[in-house]
Amino acid sequence: MLTDESRGRTTPTLITLVVLGLLLMTFHVRLDGGGVVGVMRSGAQAIISPIQEAAAFGVNPVVDLVDSLSNVASLREENLALRAQLAEREADLVGLQDQMARLETFEQLYDLGDAGTELPRTVANVIGSPDFLDGALIIDKGATDGIAPGQPVIDSQGYVVGSVHEVTSGTATVVPIVVGSSGVQVIVGDQKGVLMPQVGSELMRLEVFGARDPVLVNDRVLTSAGSVSFPVGLAVGRVVEDAAPVSDSLTTTVQPFADPDTLRLVIVLAWPPDPISASDQGIVEPVEEGTTTTTTGSTTTEGDG
Amino acid sequence: MRLPKGLIVATMILVAVIVQTTLFGQLDLITPDLVMLVAILLALTRIRPELTLAVGFAAGLVVDLLSSSLTGLRAVVFTVVAYVALRTRERASIGRPAMAIWAGLTSFVGVALLVLIGTLFGQSNLLGPDVEARVIVVPLANTLIAGLIGPVFVRLIDGDRTAFRFS
Repeated sequence: MLTDESRGRTTPTLITLVVLGLLLMTFHVRLDGGGVVGVMRSGAQAIISPIQEAAAFGVNPVVDLVDSLSNVASLREENLALRAQLAEREADLVGLQDQMARLETFEQLYDLGDAGTELPRTVANVIGSPDFLDGALIIDKGATDGIAPGQPVIDSQGYVVGSVHEVTSGTATVVPIVVGSSGVQVIVGDQKGVLMPQVGSELMRLEVFGARDPVLVNDRVLTSAGSVSFPVGLAVGRVVEDAAPVSDSLTTTVQPFADPDTLRLVIVLAWPPDPISASDQGIVEPVEEGTTTTTTGSTTTEGDG
Repeated sequence: MRLPKGLIVATMILVAVIVQTTLFGQLDLITPDLVMLVAILLALTRIRPELTLAVGFAAGLVVDLLSSSLTGLRAVVFTVVAYVALRTRERASIGRPAMAIWAGLTSFVGVALLVLIGTLFGQSNLLGPDVEARVIVVPLANTLIAGLIGPVFVRLIDGDRTAFRFS
């Protein structure tokens, strides 16, 4: 138990520190994570991230070992399923090779070349998470590898994971779309909508305004050309509930393809590929929290992250 | 030669932050909050209560600065948790199980506060798919770890080999 004397000093200290914490929160909200708070954040991350990277060398094998031990019962079944999947994919590959050969022939016939649309990619390992409640991921690539805030992140299958939030020289923090603070502009079939995270759920809510047709279970949800944070055509998830338009709008739930909890490796896309030419064309550039501004006007767009 | 107490505490917090963000950031099997646990266990040491609160605040702020959520959120929560721990610390002196349960219950207060304040401030990244499970699992993991390392932690900080030797 605290003595009266120490309690006399402890309570004012508590109040002072709580007020200081509330002030920091206020600064964070008012400055949108920038300013003094941003400088403090960058400084702390620059100090800690080299130690995290060094620790990851020792920790990653331990994590893999524990994961393997905890999944040992299901490994045999998973192996069988993977063998079957491999056989299917090999059959698909033979078909694709045939199509590629035909495509090359047509390209030669019509003198077509590569349009150069392939985006530069940076493969990064997931080395941790800020804490047990924070859904963000820490990756082992940073500014020195060309990573910048706002860049889209996909998994090894090409499914959307999220976007880069903070960057240090050697690491970056990725916020997955399922826990992000804003939505993603998507298309389902030929209908445009917004995919929003839901608090406490791994499913996301799809809202389609101006809906004409119903959406059905297993319909694929892709990033749309209207998205300012992701390139068009990336797979995001699949619809898990049938839904029909009601008064021109439609709401349903979507299961994202990527599961951030199980990711060990991600790919960061350098997108937009050329910010200078993008800004010359009036293409919007992604900034934090899904708020975007155009360079040719004063338009402000929200609802993509 | 004995190291300064401040250096030992700073090292403990740094180790807790690194282990939390790397090892426990990737493991689903066990998910403690080591930094919060350090703030709680410091209440059992002979460090002045005001300093314990300040260390709790600083430890929370470090985690805040490394995360993608609101700066100051964990600083406030860890300070309050350290205060609760200081006010109830005599309950931990009964025995090792009591110390573990005390640390677990105090951790529960901390996690519940994090979720509550996070919800009020619209921190969707703190309220992911497993939030309900984590409110239970994290205090349980902290209970286990406090039972294992709590007495050693206090002896190390205070430099007193007789502290918390339960018969």
